[in-house]
Amino acid sequence: MYAQAFFVAIFGLAAIGFGVWVFRTSSMVRSALALLFSQTAVGCMFLAMQTEFLGVLQIMMMATEMSIMAIFMVMFMMDPGGLGGMDMTHQKRFSIGAGVIAGGVAIAVALLADWGPVTPQAPDAAMQTRELGMELLGRSMLIFETAGITILTAMIAATAVAIPVQTLANGGDKEDSE
Amino acid sequence: MNVVIVLLALLGSVWLLAVVEGWTTTGRLSLSAPLLSGLAHLGRESIVPRTPDRLFFEAAPILFLIVAVLGVTVLPLAPTLVIADLATGALFINAALAYVLVALIMAGWGPNGAYAMIGGWRFLGQLIAYAMLIVMPITAVAMRAESLVTTVIVASQESLWNIVYQPLGFVLFFIAAMALAFRAPFDLPIAEGELGGGVDAEYTGVRRAVLRLARLTLVVTLAAATVVFYLGGWHGPLLPPWAWSLIKTLAVAVSMLLVGRYLPRIREADLMRWCWTLGIPLALVNIIIVGLLVLVVS
Amino acid sequence: MTAVLIVALVTGAILFGIGVYGALSQTNLVMIMMGVELILAGALVNLVAFWRFLHPESYSGQMFVLVVMTVMAVEMAVGFGVAIARFRAKGSVEMEEAGDLKG
Repeated sequence: MYAQAFFVAIFGLAAIGFGVWVFRTSSMVRSALALLFSQTAVGCMFLAMQTEFLGVLQIMMMATEMSIMAIFMVMFMMDPGGLGGMDMTHQKRFSIGAGVIAGGVAIAVALLADWGPVTPQAPDAAMQTRELGMELLGRSMLIFETAGITILTAMIAATAVAIPVQTLANGGDKEDSE
Repeated sequence: MNVVIVLLALLGSVWLLAVVEGWTTTGRLSLSAPLLSGLAHLGRESIVPRTPDRLFFEAAPILFLIVAVLGVTVLPLAPTLVIADLATGALFINAALAYVLVALIMAGWGPNGAYAMIGGWRFLGQLIAYAMLIVMPITAVAMRAESLVTTVIVASQESLWNIVYQPLGFVLFFIAAMALAFRAPFDLPIAEGELGGGVDAEYTGVRRAVLRLARLTLVVTLAAATVVFYLGGWHGPLLPPWAWSLIKTLAVAVSMLLVGRYLPRIREADLMRWCWTLGIPLALVNIIIVGLLVLVVS
Repeated sequence: MTAVLIVALVTGAILFGIGVYGALSQTNLVMIMMGVELILAGALVNLVAFWRFLHPESYSGQMFVLVVMTVMAVEMAVGFGVAIARFRAKGSVEMEEAGDLKG
């Protein structure tokens, strides 16, 4: 139990540390990769809390997701290397206030609420994977399928929004290099 | 104990692979060549480019090596000879190898060089092409084994190896594994001809040695994964299980090297198109076929 | 055991706070999305902690985590689609310059 508390706390601190770093560095790639390592630390927290499948899944998904974020940062920022020292923030005081209040209220709830009895023993990992599979394709199948369709819709919608508007002026050519 | 044995086996495989690589490129078979060239790298000057992102520059080769080794931890050499027999082994190896991309992006961004950066971002595009072709064939393998545990996956192939059971999946996985290890013809991030070495270009000395070691380790890891998922792992007559695992792994690794020697480097856009318009539909067909077989046969 | 639960919940709360700060203070669309990702990461930590320590017998908790991960992926896809369209039209994704979206 002490080992579990220790590891959850260590990875939690890592997640928070990298999370803070995201908004403190001015290099955009550093910022994106700090977010990646923050999410990885969250995945490690899942592992420390004996939730193996979700932990590994989180670690796997975030590697790709945040790397893609990094390339978009480089594409869209005026100063991706952060050597110019630009200020990329606005409404600072309001944001700090909002962040502190939101975090503070959540911490207060976490500390003050009566969480009731806590289960000491988690199901073992193989059992969890099996039960989660049963849940996914059993009772929660509709939700799972809806999530899948949502991703598909989002992919199509994002592509449709992102492809260049084709006008008669450029002959309706695709941007394809062929 | 298992840790030491598996890591020694990994190191030995990497060394043999380096010997074979040297043999195919220079035409001389020398058992000491990898060690000598490694030592030579250590003796060379370690140049740091001007205004690098020092943190990424230093961390990238190490991260690369770590993730390549982490991938091996779930792959069994023999029924009990595995470092961590995780309940989600087949997923874990994907998670570990996803960080190859992160290492390459760091290696590309770190040294503040144009070719290196293009190489790093190119690998991101390559990942979007091959990622699905790694995951979906593994899904089909897990369907047959009814488990994500790697030892169970190998045990499920005792009567019939997966390469016979789902040849389509094997071909897709093999191609995707080569793309993940960025061997020729998929060596877009380090393309010597166009990018002058790409992500490798700015690395010299010790860091270069670590980078090359990591790259060969990655090939061995992927070969071992191919063996576990498709070639029956430790199954085989006469020889002890661990010997079969090693022989098959080396054979797959060498075949990965050889295939690349006879094919021209593929273009990024072509790779993306073929993977998405041909590869992913085929992977789906593979899943359907395996699903039908699993239902009908058992 | 309650100590571990509270450690996890406090971590989630702090991640949430950092995310709120980031999403409100940054001027760039991509940085704002990073803030939102941190908010969702905080939510994920809480969900897993609740599942593990309060209701390990009910797998709907893990299911909810998967749904939140889906939301993260969808947010990324749509966000970047919008970012590309915006960048193509106006040459920037700075929110200070996006007053014309007020209508």
